[in-house]
Amino acid sequence: MAVDEKKIREALGQVQYPDFRKDITSLGMVESIVLSGSQVEITLKIPTPRIPSTETLRAQVIQVAEEVADVTSVVVRFKPEIPAWTSTDKTGVPGVKNIVAIGSGKGGVGKSTIAANLAVGLAKLGARVGLVDGDVYGPSIPIMMGRRSEELKQRDGKIIPIEAHGVKFMSMGFLAQGEQPLIWRGPMAHRAVQESLMNVDWGELDYLLVDMPPGTGDVHLTLVQTVALVGAVIISTPQDVGLTISMKTLKMFEQTNVKTLGLIENMSYHLCSHCGEREEIFGHGMVAREAAKMKIPFLGEIPLDVTIRRHADEGTPVISAQPEAPASRGYMKIIDRLAKEISIRAHFHKPLTIVEEPETKPQSFSV
Amino acid sequence: MPVHPAQVTPAAITKKGNRHLEISWEDGHVSRYSFRHLRQKCPCAGCIDEWSNEKILAEDKVPLDLEGLKVEAVGGYALSFGFTDQHNTGIYHFGYLREICPCCHSGTNKED
Repeated sequence: MAVDEKKIREALGQVQYPDFRKDITSLGMVESIVLSGSQVEITLKIPTPRIPSTETLRAQVIQVAEEVADVTSVVVRFKPEIPAWTSTDKTGVPGVKNIVAIGSGKGGVGKSTIAANLAVGLAKLGARVGLVDGDVYGPSIPIMMGRRSEELKQRDGKIIPIEAHGVKFMSMGFLAQGEQPLIWRGPMAHRAVQESLMNVDWGELDYLLVDMPPGTGDVHLTLVQTVALVGAVIISTPQDVGLTISMKTLKMFEQTNVKTLGLIENMSYHLCSHCGEREEIFGHGMVAREAAKMKIPFLGEIPLDVTIRRHADEGTPVISAQPEAPASRGYMKIIDRLAKEISIRAHFHKPLTIVEEPETKPQSFSV
Repeated sequence: MPVHPAQVTPAAITKKGNRHLEISWEDGHVSRYSFRHLRQKCPCAGCIDEWSNEKILAEDKVPLDLEGLKVEAVGGYALSFGFTDQHNTGIYHFGYLREICPCCHSGTNKED
């Protein structure tokens, strides 16, 4: 007897997608069911670049489909379709689905290194990714991406972003000439943010990461006033001092309605390059505990590992240079969690719209 | 008093002609503002001193026939308005808009 496609569709209704609190059929995730004899090929649209192997979605789909009469084998394919966190038209960057700020309370916590690795890692998973180096005062993304000085080209009055390691990126540093240090007053920083976000030909992007300057200031304010962000990621080190200050950054984002997607602990422990031993120099787990206390997702931890620094200086983020290194595996875990948090935010978000209606005149005014 | 997020999250924003703005909040409350009232409560540095919080704008000097021409979202947390007196520098975050809701607070202009 032939396999009944409708029965399979029904059976798939038993599989929940816990992040969205619904089953995969009602969510419209079932893209296609292709039958050849008793073999079934199911394609599911997923809201993240991939489903981590630790999740049971694939196994569950296979299980329920195999229980349908006459099915002998089931193949499940995932087709990423990243949902967009959109607000009103005016507060987005055209073609960009999700804008994420990467912030920290203070400098030197490795924020830019993490931003570069997250961007390259997301691109490796097949997502379309952009990266803005928003650190006007100390732009370091170009070094990490291996493209130190660039002559920016324009197309139709828009800046063409630089492409490296599968990521389109733009640095506010490119807007300044030569080796001059940047001494910008607020209004200039404001212009620079707008220029390097809105006036760039990004094309279609699933994610645009913005590497923020440390702390809170003009760039942050301009960013939250210019675009609606899907959320912010905050990087901290295990030292308490670092964390206290990170909380200030977090509060600033909160005050401007930007949700914190999660915390990342950097320099979580030192990984000895000689013996591979792990040493918890600054103490460890502080950020995770703090995140739990504040009910904010903890996205993961990155060790203090000389390979990260070396590859960053050489212009190839570690995630691309040494995908199997412990640091890279740490990054991939963070990327999976981050993509998941973004998808949840985007899925449940109700965009803000402003409607214009003619005034309904009160009775007394009617003629 | 702690503010519940639903009190400061707009569900719908409607510009009713050039005289009024209506915001329905997630908690079910509906605020109806005249643009004159919004202009009077402008929080920009030109209308309220940034350091002393002293009011610079004389509220009664705002013309009675003042209208609103433009309503725009600012990022994901605020609105800005363009008024007929050319003023447009105020950024009204949602918490502030709820705070100046004419029906919730006596002392502010109820209806213009």
